[in-house]
Amino acid sequence: MLNKQLIEDTLTAALSTGGDFAEVFVEDRTNNGIVMIGGKVESTMSGRDYGVGIRIFKGFNSVYAYTNKSDRDTLISTANKAAAAVEGNNGSIIINLSKSDVKNIHEIKIDPNTIEKTRKVEIMKRAYNAAFNYDDLITQVTVNLADHVQNIMIANSEGLWKEDKRVRSRLAIQSIASKNGEMQSGFYGPGAMKGYEFFENLDVEKYAKETARIAMTMVNAKYSPSGKMPVIIDNGFGGVIFHEASGHGLEATSVAKGLSVYCDKIGQKVASPLVTAIDDGTIPSEWGSINIDDEGTSSQRNVLIENGVLKGYMIDKLNARRMNMDITGSSRRQSYKYPPTSRMTNTYIDNGKSTTYEIIANTEKGLYAKYMGGGSVNPSTGEFNFAVMEGYIVENGKIKEPVRGATLIGKGIDVLNKIDMVGNNLSFGQGMCGSVSGSIPTNVGQPMIRVSEITVGGRESEV
Amino acid sequence: MMDIKPIIEKLFEEGKKQGMSDMEVFYGGGSSLSLKVFEKELDGYSLSESEGLSFRGVYNGKMGYSYTEKVDETSIDFLIKGAIENAKVIDSDDEECIFEGSKEYKEVNNFNPKLEQVKEEEKIKFVRDLEEECLKIDKRIAKVETCVYGDGYGETIISNSKGLFLQEKNNIAYTYVVVLAKENDDIKTGFAYRTGNDFTKFSYQEIAQEAVKDALSQLGASSIKSGDYTIVLRNNASADLLEAFSGIFSAENVQKDLSLLKGKIGEKIGSDNFTIIDDPFMEEGLASKSFDGEGVACKYKKVVDKGVLTTYLHNLKTAKKDNVQTTGNASKSSYKSPIDITPSNFYIEKGSRSLDEIISSIDKGLLISDLQGLHSGLNTVSGDFSLAAGGYEIEEGKIKRPIEQITVAGNYFDLLKNIEEVGSDLKFGLPGEAYIGSPSIKIKYLSIAGE
Repeated sequence: MLNKQLIEDTLTAALSTGGDFAEVFVEDRTNNGIVMIGGKVESTMSGRDYGVGIRIFKGFNSVYAYTNKSDRDTLISTANKAAAAVEGNNGSIIINLSKSDVKNIHEIKIDPNTIEKTRKVEIMKRAYNAAFNYDDLITQVTVNLADHVQNIMIANSEGLWKEDKRVRSRLAIQSIASKNGEMQSGFYGPGAMKGYEFFENLDVEKYAKETARIAMTMVNAKYSPSGKMPVIIDNGFGGVIFHEASGHGLEATSVAKGLSVYCDKIGQKVASPLVTAIDDGTIPSEWGSINIDDEGTSSQRNVLIENGVLKGYMIDKLNARRMNMDITGSSRRQSYKYPPTSRMTNTYIDNGKSTTYEIIANTEKGLYAKYMGGGSVNPSTGEFNFAVMEGYIVENGKIKEPVRGATLIGKGIDVLNKIDMVGNNLSFGQGMCGSVSGSIPTNVGQPMIRVSEITVGGRESEV
Repeated sequence: MMDIKPIIEKLFEEGKKQGMSDMEVFYGGGSSLSLKVFEKELDGYSLSESEGLSFRGVYNGKMGYSYTEKVDETSIDFLIKGAIENAKVIDSDDEECIFEGSKEYKEVNNFNPKLEQVKEEEKIKFVRDLEEECLKIDKRIAKVETCVYGDGYGETIISNSKGLFLQEKNNIAYTYVVVLAKENDDIKTGFAYRTGNDFTKFSYQEIAQEAVKDALSQLGASSIKSGDYTIVLRNNASADLLEAFSGIFSAENVQKDLSLLKGKIGEKIGSDNFTIIDDPFMEEGLASKSFDGEGVACKYKKVVDKGVLTTYLHNLKTAKKDNVQTTGNASKSSYKSPIDITPSNFYIEKGSRSLDEIISSIDKGLLISDLQGLHSGLNTVSGDFSLAAGGYEIEEGKIKRPIEQITVAGNYFDLLKNIEEVGSDLKFGLPGEAYIGSPSIKIKYLSIAGE
């Protein structure tokens, strides 16, 4: 993407004022997006993102600069401007790049840019038809299809020089059911680190019908009860509970500065012994997967919690310095407009031993959250919240009537300690995670779990 | 800033050759600086210069879009090919068009040359002082989690083949701080921010006081018994909620059956003391502008007047469909997005009494000062919300104690009808695409889940 001499000269300029590490990140990315409302293509966009980010470290301090231009003059002057923010003397680091190949573990069969838009629209129409015709109560269906091809180049003053290509595809379906002037929605957004083959092999109708079923169920549901109660959270996107309640607090971003509730707790019990949690960017072709992170480090499987004991964090280069620990291949960013930092990839609670039947049958009274919506957390206090998209009352070991509008709140460590049953049906859900280095694709995952007590926010006061 | 006129001319020429009729370019460019201090060190320093060009044009009666961040002649083919291919798959009946221009544009001044002259050392000193001040005020402030100053310059150009050429520039500075208060095992965060393009108005002492007070006032918080409570939504919380639900006023959502305000023009949707204004010319409004994303002159309007819905927010396409004039609310959040609809400076008109006076009139209730999960815990279509919240218990007209770990639930359409009083303390949230504000509002009741 840039020639060796230019990268080396840029890195040299970046280090000219005493920085001890410099990095160049180049991104050339094409995006395609199509929006269909009511079965008709409403808008389409194709575009090209292009830019270069230059990062300098000196000790714990970092400087970042980016530009859309990649000619020699702009790059050298941008590097010089960034270097001007570093106080020190001319460095003596000699840059000697050697290019190394990135092993591709996520096979891409069909480049989405080679496929006519009309074929993508066909896929979307299938989704629309399946959802809209599911029932008369379905009054609107919105379908979004998006794919991107991101070409990146990373080089740094330690001699690292790598290029990689990331291709992702996602279909998002939302159905609205209306009844007596009220509306409820159901959503599903399957995605993968795959090319156009992802859409071709996807059971579009299954997901579309599922969104219609959720919307219909919810429009017929009464409001959720509120108060503290046992909650069963199903597999897949239910894993958002770990992502919010714990995952963000295990990112070096908050650990390194002593801001996380998980600081200095390695080797200590931070969760129920039934909980083993993993962040793994190497799972082939998953939505949150990567070959290398945005610092050029190979992705790896990181055990975060094992049988309830804290084993590790997700750590990037800068925070590794502060923490005096090793990097974990977890440094990510939305684009060249952000300096990278430690983030999640595919994060999940591992399989336990209970069957879903056992978990439900052993619950006398509580809430069953079949599908979760999104959530958020304050990593400093551990306080999290997330929404239940489709919920049911559980009574005497059986799933009863559906309830809408439930929100779960709590504090991270507290809720992880209260997980008292873990199922054996691990699966993943796809989402976009927003944090300091922008919005990035991540997978959440878990088998069905039960939390013995959690605060449920709803609109009815009694269970 | 480079001269982009030659590229635009080439683009239109080439587009015409390939069969496009009307065409338009939307260009956004600018620079930014951000400074972050942690434990006295300048531990983050970012600067940027960036730009992007969005192209759209009509091909066989349909509008196609494309954009690039590589703004040079090598992108012309990519832009035209992309826009034509995109136009080909559009099958919506709604007609999008390129606008020839309004008769008059009201001038808006969003650029303060004095901000460009503030020296970097002054900015660095400011952000260092801010951190130090926060730690000085109270021993219980254990850390300053985030302490940031940033500013940016931006330029927008709309140029089309019907001869319209509009240009606007702006600059803005912002600062925010998050502090961590600690007492025994109890940790609370406090937050304060300022935005605007007059650096001299930023007082680090004031911001520090506000953030520290926010954190300290929450120490020792606990939950509260579940039930229905009289609620005061503090200005910031009400503004956050209004922002989350602002899409219900978009004609696009109404026409697509995604807003329950459909068919409600001229009808009462809120209580008598509830008025919403969309004012693109507001002094110090961070969404002030003279033209919208389609080049249409912006205008002032009351969207809700004493509880009655008077208009939706329109762009050219939705206005044509409803057979009304556009309200000048077409938005293009960046060169990457197609035309959408967003409010400008959009706020609930203030009432007469202060927050303290409102509180003093409540025998038993809750002041909600913080809402979380606004992107997930609410349904903009149904109006239902159930959100993690924090605040204070009110008893006999006074703040009694801090409250945490509760959720507040209700329906936004019901809430608007149950507004009993609107305070005088109008405050705006952090600017996004729109700049949204509210005074504190008293609501008959909402359901609280806690213990």
